[in-house]
Amino acid sequence: MKNHWNRREFLQTTSAATIAALGVGSPIASLMADPTSPIAKKAATADTVILLWMAGGMAHTETFDPKRYTPYEKGMEGNRVLSTFKSMPTALDGVNFSEGLQSVGSVMDKGTVIRSYVAADLGHILHSRHQYHWHTSYEPPQSVAAPHLGAWISKELGPKNPVIPSFIDIGQRFTVGEAEELKAFHTAGFLGNEHGPFLIPDPSQGLESVRPPVGMDMKRFESRNQLYNNLISQSAHGEYGSDYQKESLRRSMEQAYILLNSPESKAFNLSTEPKEIYDVYNTGRFGLGCLLARRLTEKGARFISVTTEYEPFFGWDTHENGHTRLEGMKRMIDGPIAQLIKDLDKTGHLDRTLVILASEFSRDMMVEGRPDLKVQEQVKQPEILNDIKFYGMHRHFTDGCSILMWGGGIKKGHVYGKTADERPCKTIINPVKIDGIHQTIYHALGIKPDTQYEIEKRPFYTTPDGKGKAVQDLLT
Amino acid sequence: MQNNLLNELWQISGRLHPLVVHFPISLLWVGLLLECIAWRKKTDQFQSAIGIILWVGTITAALAVGLGFILINQDDYTGNAITIHQWSGMATAILSGLTLYAFISKETKSYRLLLFLTVLGVSFAGHYGAMLTHGEDYLDLTKEEKTQKIALNPSLHVEKLQGEIDPNQKQDLGIEARNILENHCYDCHSIKKSKGKLRLDALEFMLKGGKEGPALVLGHPEKSEMIRRIKLPASDDEAMPNKGKRLTKKEIEILETWVKQGAPWPNQALKSAPSTAAIDQEEEIEENSSAVKKSGSSEDRIINTSETPTKAPEVLNANQLQELNINVRTILAHNCYSCHNATKTKGGLRLDKKEFIFKGGEDGPILVPGNPEKSDMIRRVKLPFGHDDAMPSKGKRLTKEDIAMLEYWIQQGAPWPTGPEKSLYRVAALEPRMPTVPKVEAELNQPIDLFVNEYFKKNKISWQKSVDDKTYIRRVYLDVTGLLPNPESISTFVSDPRSNKREMLVDKLLANNEGYAQHWLTFWNDALRNDYTGTGYITNGRFGITKWLYGSLKTNKPYDTFVKELISPTKESEGFVRGIQWRGTINSSQSTEMQAAQNVSQVLLGLNLKCTSCHDSFISDWKLDDAYAFANVFSDKTLEIHRCDLPTGRMAGYGVLYSSLGKIKETNITAERLVSLADILVQKKNGRLYRTLVNRVWAQLMGRGIVEPVDVMDNEPWSQDLLDWLASDFTANGYDMKRLMRQILISKTYQTPAVGLKEAQMLTASNFVFKGMMKRRITAEQFADAVSQSFFPLYTDSALVKKMLPADIKNDIPFARASLVKNDPFLTALGRPNRENVSTSRISQANLLQALELTNGNKFNLSLRKGAEIWAQKYQTGESLVKALYLKALGREPSFKEITLAVKYIGKKPSVEGIQDLVWAVTLLPEFQLII
Repeated sequence: MKNHWNRREFLQTTSAATIAALGVGSPIASLMADPTSPIAKKAATADTVILLWMAGGMAHTETFDPKRYTPYEKGMEGNRVLSTFKSMPTALDGVNFSEGLQSVGSVMDKGTVIRSYVAADLGHILHSRHQYHWHTSYEPPQSVAAPHLGAWISKELGPKNPVIPSFIDIGQRFTVGEAEELKAFHTAGFLGNEHGPFLIPDPSQGLESVRPPVGMDMKRFESRNQLYNNLISQSAHGEYGSDYQKESLRRSMEQAYILLNSPESKAFNLSTEPKEIYDVYNTGRFGLGCLLARRLTEKGARFISVTTEYEPFFGWDTHENGHTRLEGMKRMIDGPIAQLIKDLDKTGHLDRTLVILASEFSRDMMVEGRPDLKVQEQVKQPEILNDIKFYGMHRHFTDGCSILMWGGGIKKGHVYGKTADERPCKTIINPVKIDGIHQTIYHALGIKPDTQYEIEKRPFYTTPDGKGKAVQDLLT
Repeated sequence: MQNNLLNELWQISGRLHPLVVHFPISLLWVGLLLECIAWRKKTDQFQSAIGIILWVGTITAALAVGLGFILINQDDYTGNAITIHQWSGMATAILSGLTLYAFISKETKSYRLLLFLTVLGVSFAGHYGAMLTHGEDYLDLTKEEKTQKIALNPSLHVEKLQGEIDPNQKQDLGIEARNILENHCYDCHSIKKSKGKLRLDALEFMLKGGKEGPALVLGHPEKSEMIRRIKLPASDDEAMPNKGKRLTKKEIEILETWVKQGAPWPNQALKSAPSTAAIDQEEEIEENSSAVKKSGSSEDRIINTSETPTKAPEVLNANQLQELNINVRTILAHNCYSCHNATKTKGGLRLDKKEFIFKGGEDGPILVPGNPEKSDMIRRVKLPFGHDDAMPSKGKRLTKEDIAMLEYWIQQGAPWPTGPEKSLYRVAALEPRMPTVPKVEAELNQPIDLFVNEYFKKNKISWQKSVDDKTYIRRVYLDVTGLLPNPESISTFVSDPRSNKREMLVDKLLANNEGYAQHWLTFWNDALRNDYTGTGYITNGRFGITKWLYGSLKTNKPYDTFVKELISPTKESEGFVRGIQWRGTINSSQSTEMQAAQNVSQVLLGLNLKCTSCHDSFISDWKLDDAYAFANVFSDKTLEIHRCDLPTGRMAGYGVLYSSLGKIKETNITAERLVSLADILVQKKNGRLYRTLVNRVWAQLMGRGIVEPVDVMDNEPWSQDLLDWLASDFTANGYDMKRLMRQILISKTYQTPAVGLKEAQMLTASNFVFKGMMKRRITAEQFADAVSQSFFPLYTDSALVKKMLPADIKNDIPFARASLVKNDPFLTALGRPNRENVSTSRISQANLLQALELTNGNKFNLSLRKGAEIWAQKYQTGESLVKALYLKALGREPSFKEITLAVKYIGKKPSVEGIQDLVWAVTLLPEFQLII
């Protein structure tokens, strides 16, 4: 068995495996759709995607789309409050972000802010269901398992560097509430496990995922592999000829060995980062996740998701104390995100890396769901605020949300869409929905809009029925 | 005698034509050349030479013309080339005479012009002459590829085509024969040229023959002139081909076989030669109709569309009309239905029913029968993409063949047979069928083997020697209980001299009710979407059925009762039809009632209703209303039919998909309807229910279903008889799943050596040929259990999902079996599905994420570490440990080399780390991972 694997060979075998994976009752590749399609494959402007996931519903009026600020006074009318933070200038003239996000604001000359994302109406709010919808562009439940955005990208483009898994998910543990619902979309679905997420719940422990098992040094790891190869050659099994099960097993074991033994695996070791940089990122697991994402991007990652982590009533899921909680959330994200953009820009990686910040929906103090389609209220929110714990955006609002994008062909210093300046602060210009966002991402990556696989004899597109158009106005 | 001599002289002089023609050609050219030089140099020193040249040139030109007339009457030349050659040759001779006259008369100007024209003429005539001799494309450098290179079909083995052959083989043989003829004969014997008045480009011409009589005598190669001639030595005058390459032995053999088989002539157009009207034969129409349905390939279609626009309508018989209709409907279904159907009716046009097609849309009628040029439909499909009127406006354009087919159909008057429309799709028979078991033969006496034997004979497959005892016992253990046989069981079994020991083993294992239930629970959990964790539980929107399922398996509940209890459930079994309810609004195609309809039809009936729960299906004849009527049976409130999530205002009725099975009791009480539904579905006459089940069990035990995918029971089985017999036998004998398994497990078929495939997709390929047991990979649960059993438990009792399992489960289990624990990253990586959706087969292909989990995942490696600590205490020497491990894990002694390697690694006194690594390596060997 070879120890030095030529990269091209690796890619060939991987694609053979990919095709082979389409076996039993599984999708038949439409591969590259119809070559005569009117929308010819555009040259890709991005090779890598980093998704910064604000889990739990990030209020746009408290972050990237601030409205009139009304400071807290006991006995105040809740309806008067649009933002609980001051507006602060950003690098862009006339564009303000909410207080506490000045660092992100300072790098907006390198990116675009979308202020008109409209989330779906899925009735009675269940965060994980909206998250499922955001990540797959399909509403759950589905009659076949829908693939995550990262799995589609993995399937279509494969790994950028063969020894780095093509879909990496950083920061989400699956031991919290709604874990099963989260698992339902952290999957490659019918595209097959091969394209599923490589989970790194704790970025500071990321190295463990790619180094020999606990208690095993590299030398022993190598000799264990040698023993394995020796025993395979002795095993009587060879005489029965080759078959895909055996070949894929040997190939995969070899790949795993190469990954764990590769220089790339050092990217997972955050302790080698210069201290002053490390400190900027080290705001907790999310911040370190951004650092790990940057390091992996530099080594050739394809799709990385870094989440603030969804856990019911934690993080962005503010059912009370919204104002106070958001101060903490902003501290968690502001420095690392700005540093991530600066670092990627400095090394030139930002040109080919699309960084996206998004959340499943927004929040509002008064409106649950959307103005014209209110859903059952799930948060107790008094009309008159007699306690500061009611000062904040606690209801789930779907009609206007913010998304940030940088790099990979996205316009620099651009604002797209607009929400109303008075309650309800809903989208009034250029509404964009999830299929449009996904198609924009696919477009930047050079993945055709009508990409589809046949599963159970039905075409299954990257977005439902292949609908949604890339938002050209976001792209250079 | 005299006559003969004259005749020969006559013939020879004719054949001198090609020789003589070269004189005028070269001489006249030289004359022109000299004249040009003289003209440039303003000299007349060549005059006398030119005079001689013109004289000889003119005489030889006239001579060549004369000889040409002799030749034309000897060999039978037809076609344009000969006419052009004849007239231009004559013109040249006359021109050269005129040139000579002008030269003599010193009419310099006319002479020069005439000389120039003569040379042009002689070149022109010469060119056409050359074409007749050397072939039309002699100067075309690419022609090698065009003509000679029709690759022969390497998989055609004539030795297998003796005696009765099936229509497909006939078709292949015909194509091959025609390719050979095209490669060797068509230059002289086709529409281009018919030497000896013989054409070989259509069967009718061959039978008519040439001057020497028919070329073929059907069925008798030895009496066929063509065969006689191609076999003659090259030196023989009558040998054919008389130019170019001779036929190879193999080619001759193919042609002989072809004549013997009655010279079947393919309907497909020739690849290079102009097409000819072939004589359609009834049986070929039949075989083609099935080919079209399967492949949809335009090549296979019976009607040769390439020449239709210029041809007057021919009279089609009923079969051909039906065939044409199906072809047209297939094109419409694939390309047009999605926008022009009952759901979406763009431009007011529907193309999914006869009356709408003829009615047309907002812009009026779309077709003028008999007149494709005036038909809007044809105009639009021919427009370039991007044109406002071009159709289809989205998706793929129609192929040339599709357009030609539509044109032909309209040309024919757009015929549409009356009476019920034939389905475009294969639909399996619903009724059960009990085929006669073939006669007992040699060592074979089990019905399964006898049916397989018939299949083998038909496909020329020979039985392989049955696997040895060790392989067999491992297979059976893993298939019945999901566990490895322990070393004692293996050695007892191997040394058992009794001839019926395999049957006894199967009986013993099937009698292990607990082991059987714990293994097959995994299969049914996947299929019935039953899991211990998952979406829906959080909001009380999902119910487990594990206790019921485990109990049903343990008691081997008859399958009809099993199905009844799933459909018309008790509290314990309701989880399957209750579906998974997410909080919030749900797409109407995913209501829990529709989930019930989809899951019951997929799992129990091998039928996919998922398309049909949104709109009329584009890939089957199922309609939206059928799906709603079925879903409605499960619903407490009458469902409103929604099309693609939009309400239609129509309310659903009740229906059972297959109306011949019976009618649902009309009642408002859901439970009563479900009783009625259950009774209807489990009837013996619902052959589909039982075929689906036996096929699933067969697929589990043999690695591949008789029908694949196992959820698409309308697909063609590789043996209809075997499938039908298994299902009928199953219902005739108490719906006993264990009995069914027993029959398979003791069959010789099950004991065949495992066949490995190079690529996973070959397993479900439509040209799959069954040769015996397929290689399989052990499942996540089998792997975990095998490690637990042979080394150290991967799960402890605390991992069991006690709340969901029977209270006394601990009495039933040897250790915490993987089928009874929650899904975790380890099991997920090894292929246990998240059971959000029905899952009826697992992928046995390994991948990187899986390998990473095995290489450094905590679950696996920490368990191995703990086990190693215990084994280090237990085994004092490396050798004894290695032997024990190999026996337990692989069921065999290690070889000397293996002992050496392993002991060298773990040490004479085994180290914990060494053991951990050794066990890791052994459990990842293909030998451990695969079932062979």
